[in-house]
Amino acid sequence: MSNKLPNRDAYTESQKMMIFILAMSLYGLASLFTELLPEFQLGPIDISISYLAFIPLILVILFHPLYAAIGASVGDIIFGKLLLGDFSGIGEVEGFIEFSLAMYVAGLLVRDPTNKRQIGAAAIIGVGIDQMLSSIVDIGKVWLGVEELEAVAGLPESILAIEAFSFVNEMVISGVLFGLIPTLYLLPKLYGKIEPLMGMKPRNPNIKASMTEYISVRFLIVAIFLAFVGLVAEYMAEMDINFAVWEPDFLDQFGDGFIWLPISAAAIIVILIITITVKMGRKKVEKDKWSA
Amino acid sequence: MELTDKIKNVLNVQTIKLELIKTAFGKPDVYLANIDPRVLMFWYLTVSILPWFTFNNTILLFIIAYTAVLAVVSRVSPLILTLLGIGIVTELFTIVIVSLVFGGGTFEAILPLLTFSMKLFIMSIASVSVFASMSPERLSDGLLSLKVPAQFSFAVSYGYRMLPILLDEYHQIFQSFRLRGKTPENHGFLKWRIVYYYILVVIKSFYPLMLNIAKRTRLTVEALEVRGFSYSLHNPEAKRVKLSYLKVRTKDYLFILTQLGILLIIWWFGNTFPS
Repeated sequence: MSNKLPNRDAYTESQKMMIFILAMSLYGLASLFTELLPEFQLGPIDISISYLAFIPLILVILFHPLYAAIGASVGDIIFGKLLLGDFSGIGEVEGFIEFSLAMYVAGLLVRDPTNKRQIGAAAIIGVGIDQMLSSIVDIGKVWLGVEELEAVAGLPESILAIEAFSFVNEMVISGVLFGLIPTLYLLPKLYGKIEPLMGMKPRNPNIKASMTEYISVRFLIVAIFLAFVGLVAEYMAEMDINFAVWEPDFLDQFGDGFIWLPISAAAIIVILIITITVKMGRKKVEKDKWSA
Repeated sequence: MELTDKIKNVLNVQTIKLELIKTAFGKPDVYLANIDPRVLMFWYLTVSILPWFTFNNTILLFIIAYTAVLAVVSRVSPLILTLLGIGIVTELFTIVIVSLVFGGGTFEAILPLLTFSMKLFIMSIASVSVFASMSPERLSDGLLSLKVPAQFSFAVSYGYRMLPILLDEYHQIFQSFRLRGKTPENHGFLKWRIVYYYILVVIKSFYPLMLNIAKRTRLTVEALEVRGFSYSLHNPEAKRVKLSYLKVRTKDYLFILTQLGILLIIWWFGNTFPS
């Protein structure tokens, strides 16, 4: 222990705990507000501030992304739901997984907290992943819950339209107005100022990340995107919408094997998630060893 | 305007604190509050997952009635029930609009969508009736005994102590921003300038708050570590002592049996008179 100099990535156990509690309290407070703010709802069209994404974004960029992301999700569930008596069981698990994954990926994307382009990309991609995953879950729910989906005229299209609208709406309000812009404004102010308060060193922008790590992150994003596209594609196929212009060539070229694309994308996702959980599990074992 | 008054009331710091106290002390005299939290969670999972395996409207309607009765028994707060009600009305409205627009003027899509909404509704009403009557402390202990990481139950107790303080602090910062700032004189179209100004203040107030909370977090964690916090977090013996009060008793078995019986009756009835 003594012959090893501490480096940037080596957070001590109590520092990880600090990051967790910080993210939990801040984002919990923020989600308490958004929970209580009124929404404007007109039928399927719902305009509201669903979350203040800039808080978890700033924290995952400045600190250990995993602990900050999990802390923020836990804070959302506990402060925003449980303590207000509005806990909804399974729905919370869904949101927890989506949001932690999205924020974790956003945090991994940023190598240099002073680089505005990286921050902007991370903000948009982070919120985008979250919204995409929740659209997938919503579409899946309808698929599972409605009998003979394709038999009902207009239903699949309408579900897709509602989901697409809410996706765009969320990206504009939560992603840009309450994600991208405040992050770009607050992050440079906080960088180098908030870390010493918790006894940590700010992230060094000069440290180059190992290439393998970066590729795996990019791979994760592509995989999620593919799964999303695949699911929508499957769904469209199910309801017999023909994109008449390009359909025949496409199918001839790839044959029936084309249907394996969405399935394989889904398989990739599952494998990735399992790998991440195994990794996290290993970390946890180490943690247990240290703390016990 | 009644609506704006209501919004002002809801957004009051005092109201939030009162709401917190209300959930914190729970409703110890309610029937469901005395059932073991693990049994209740199991019941909730069963009731919310089962409907997805059927398309029989009779069964769904009866499950709704059954969960609604339970919601009344567990005395869900009128506020939450109103919110649920509003949700249903907008949902129905959406269904009509959607099927009119996309179904080409026919109402063909309504019935399958209604079935679908019933399933979602069962999920939400079941969760409301179970989790509203359970105090968060009991819920987190139940989750802890089901091997959910101990950080979660720590976060619940931390939330209780800290949330009112954090709220006060945020409120103070927000008010001081308002004192030093100036609301725009020209309100603009639909008061957009005012809305924009408030959003700006809300976001800017988080900057000092973040620094303050960072300082406080460090203090908290150091104080916790001095008392051996992370050791007890992972120590099985400490966990056993903490959870020793959770026991499945006779009344819990009775609860399981009655609910199982009711579900079976509903299933039989739905199969005899399908719709």
